Amino acid sequence: MTDKLTASVRADCAAAADPGALQALAGRHILITGGTGFVGTWLTEMVAHLNDEHSLGMRLSLLGPHAADFHSRAPHLAGRKDIDLIERDVRDLDSLPTGVTHVIHAAGTPDNRMHASDPLRTMSVISAGTSAVLRASVDSPDLQKFLFVSSGLVYGPQPLDLPGISEKYVGGPECDSIASVYPEAKRYAEVECAAWRGQTKLPLVTARPFAFIGPYQGLDKPWAVNNFLRDALLGGPIRIMGCADTVRSYMYPSDMAFWLLRILADGVPGVAYNVGSPEAVTLKDLADRIAGAFDEPPAVACRGGANPRPSRFVPDVDRCRDTLGLRVTVPLGDAIVRTLEWHRAAGTARA
Amino acid sequence: MAPREGKLKVAILGSGNIGSDLLSKVLRSDLLECTLFIGRNLASRGIARAAAMGVPVSDGSVEAIENDPDVCDLVFDATSALSHIRHAEVLERLGKTVIDMTPSNLGRMCIPAVNLQECLEYPNVNMVTCGGQATIPIAHVIGAVHGEAEYIEVVSQIASRSAGPATRVNLDEYIETTERGIIAFSGCRRSKAILNLNPAQPPVDMQATVYARVDEPDLERLTAAVDEMVEKVGVYVPGYELIVPPTVENGRIAVMVRVRGRGDYLPSYAGNLDIINCAAVAVAEGHARMTGSVQGEGAR
Amino acid sequence: MKELLVTDITLRDGNHAVAHQLTEHQLSVYAEAAEAAGMPIVEVGHGNGIGASSMQVGESLLSDADMLRVVRGKLKKSRMSIHVIPGFATINKDLRPAIEAGVDVIRVASHCTEADITERHITFAREQGKEVYGVLMMSHMASKEVLLEEARKMEQYGAEGVVLMDSAGAYLPKDVRDKISLLAEELNIPVGFHAHNNMGMAVANSLTAAESGAYIVDGASRGFGAGAGNAQLEALIAVLERYGYSTGIDLYGALDAGDVAQRELVEVVPSATSTSIVSGMAGVFSAFSKPVERISKEYGVDPRDVFFELGRRGIVAGQEDIILEVAQQLSEEAAKK
Repeated sequence: MTDKLTASVRADCAAAADPGALQALAGRHILITGGTGFVGTWLTEMVAHLNDEHSLGMRLSLLGPHAADFHSRAPHLAGRKDIDLIERDVRDLDSLPTGVTHVIHAAGTPDNRMHASDPLRTMSVISAGTSAVLRASVDSPDLQKFLFVSSGLVYGPQPLDLPGISEKYVGGPECDSIASVYPEAKRYAEVECAAWRGQTKLPLVTARPFAFIGPYQGLDKPWAVNNFLRDALLGGPIRIMGCADTVRSYMYPSDMAFWLLRILADGVPGVAYNVGSPEAVTLKDLADRIAGAFDEPPAVACRGGANPRPSRFVPDVDRCRDTLGLRVTVPLGDAIVRTLEWHRAAGTARA
Repeated sequence: MAPREGKLKVAILGSGNIGSDLLSKVLRSDLLECTLFIGRNLASRGIARAAAMGVPVSDGSVEAIENDPDVCDLVFDATSALSHIRHAEVLERLGKTVIDMTPSNLGRMCIPAVNLQECLEYPNVNMVTCGGQATIPIAHVIGAVHGEAEYIEVVSQIASRSAGPATRVNLDEYIETTERGIIAFSGCRRSKAILNLNPAQPPVDMQATVYARVDEPDLERLTAAVDEMVEKVGVYVPGYELIVPPTVENGRIAVMVRVRGRGDYLPSYAGNLDIINCAAVAVAEGHARMTGSVQGEGAR
Repeated sequence: MKELLVTDITLRDGNHAVAHQLTEHQLSVYAEAAEAAGMPIVEVGHGNGIGASSMQVGESLLSDADMLRVVRGKLKKSRMSIHVIPGFATINKDLRPAIEAGVDVIRVASHCTEADITERHITFAREQGKEVYGVLMMSHMASKEVLLEEARKMEQYGAEGVVLMDSAGAYLPKDVRDKISLLAEELNIPVGFHAHNNMGMAVANSLTAAESGAYIVDGASRGFGAGAGNAQLEALIAVLERYGYSTGIDLYGALDAGDVAQRELVEVVPSATSTSIVSGMAGVFSAFSKPVERISKEYGVDPRDVFFELGRRGIVAGQEDIILEVAQQLSEEAAKK
């Protein structure tokens, strides 16, 4: 990590944050499971900004199975006095660190290659991991709020004629498909959260993240936008696999980090909140816009299957907007430009 | 449970499949006593099983040994290569002998039938790979009989069901470590390792073929030497069997062995996992004999 | 007109037919002919792919590096492809150098039920910005439901298409229709088919695949490939043209390439010999025919018995060592009688 990269991420956080809206978290101690992953790293960047520039005085404990790696990946965060690292499998957590007042439970990789190769581990980390964190949280006298980071995939396939999925939508993944391992485990974990909340009155809120684009997201990740960015950085062509008419939306992660903290601070227990961008884009349009961000735009090639089936994955985020005052501060066009700049500076894609 | 008189005190780090199977083998040994079985979660299946068998358990990682250094003399590390790097440092400081089951490549490579005595001098030994344990004894004999082999190749078949996600994602490391082992133990100039997963039902046994190209094959001496070696491996791997004796075909020497698992904790078709655990226990028993903690009746 | 992507595998599967002894001259003249014909993808290498030269499956005359260098020098518009089997080829020893040698297309293969072993190789090739396909070998050995599940894994890993290989030449047209149409229906990426001719069905099966929704079909000039050979490329192109498919390949160019193959590469034009018919019926990898015939002769056993016993045991591609064990076993049993 160069100073330039950390400064740009810090500037992103400053632009997305409204410190006044997070007063409920001032001086609090937050445990983040999955704390060294993509979501955890951005939450940590945001908290570091809030502490340094707005004196919110939060403490963070980051729990992850390979937390030690965080020192080499993000030394500017790992070395901070207001952050400590706990190297542990979330399933083995038996009690919260002393003084923890808030939990953000974000463990469980969304990388679908891992879901395909080790579905049993994927399910176990989510189900047994959630049980372990909930039990430890209920036992902790200091705990004030618990945020479960679920997934927008729990809704199952989105009807093509539904512009955005709202939190009230009821659907679900097919239960006999390997592709359902992650979303179905998240659904189960949401229900378990509801059960603990009902039985113990644990103040628990849920966030359902959709898709993101931005720094710290590896270009090797198997999602369309990452592949497009990589193809483009390598000189193209950008290859669209699957159906070019598929519709997605992408939120920039500084917005995601602020939204999650805001939901933790003032989200109503028992309520779920979609986290994502409502700005819909087809894969074809996304590829063209990425190509258009280059002086010499790379070609865009479509490589669909024999039976193209468009899908749609776009949230309705009215609940976050209307009840928590949240808005998307980085439109897709800016998100693309900033992400490309970051990867160019970081030299992530090997030419 | 206090250690019985005269046995070497061993701890097992890692309560997964390998650690649990090692425990079964240690419990059967006349020379070893498991004084601590260490996992990460007291509620896990491996720990619960060990506790039910009266074995002292801990969820304290390597620190459990650090906090009670007299608890054991020798440690099997059945965690991961990444964790082993950290454990090795602590255990070296504590002066513990370490048998590393992970592909960390830190310690001295050990194939008991070939270099057990030498390995007893090293504080950290590495058990190479399952395919290495099955084929390197044969490769070693081919090298010894012929002075030098130009090229040795080993091909292993394992049951698809015995290959978990970690094995599948680490095929490259398996191949490269086995190839290094073949060269180190046979003195051949080049080596190659191949792994085939076979999904047939019922699951197939582990089988391995060793091919070699040498200047002048001496089948008579090789056959005698291979028979002797198979017997030597068979002492600590009961399911090890020669199925095709040294044969010259199409300008190459071929020898085939089969490994049936003992079915201790792991199913019997997982001969690939059984053999590496059997080999590790043989090293620990070597230490038990050497330290003289065992006299008379215990030693076989 | 419906488009198809044809992969010319003459210089890879054909290597099986000559015990992996293709020379620099042979690679060079054929690659030139393939380029002239406008073959979109030209696959080259040892019959079992890069990193496979071995006593187990045969040592190749040329190193991977030499083969890739020669063919790279002849291809301009055609893309150069390799076949990669994890368990034989590793990323550091084989795949990385091949990419440095200028490979455009990487086809990562596993036995049809073992797609998880392709994750790292597919990911690595994608990270290098290469065109990557997944290949399920010996696909007659799994049901269409299992094939779909394994193909989906490859799709998740980042494969741009999945090719079903009929490595044993065991498919009949109805099998092709069943399996290809399900995958074409369910996957979001294109599906391909790679035929062998053990029972004389290779071209017909390839056509059935195209008619069932396959986008990729493999062929070899004069059928030059393992055992009874592959779908004969020039005949396949003619048939596809009659059916109104567009392949971008020049028919005369393909016919010329076939003539070059016959003149320069092919020792015996592959045909469905009695052992290769039995190999297809037994469902054993076509490339086993040479070692099975050699070893059966040595042990005085009927190669057809060897094939049926290998089939009964469910032996997969790459397990050539078991031939020796089976031949010994059959010869011992015969001696007892």
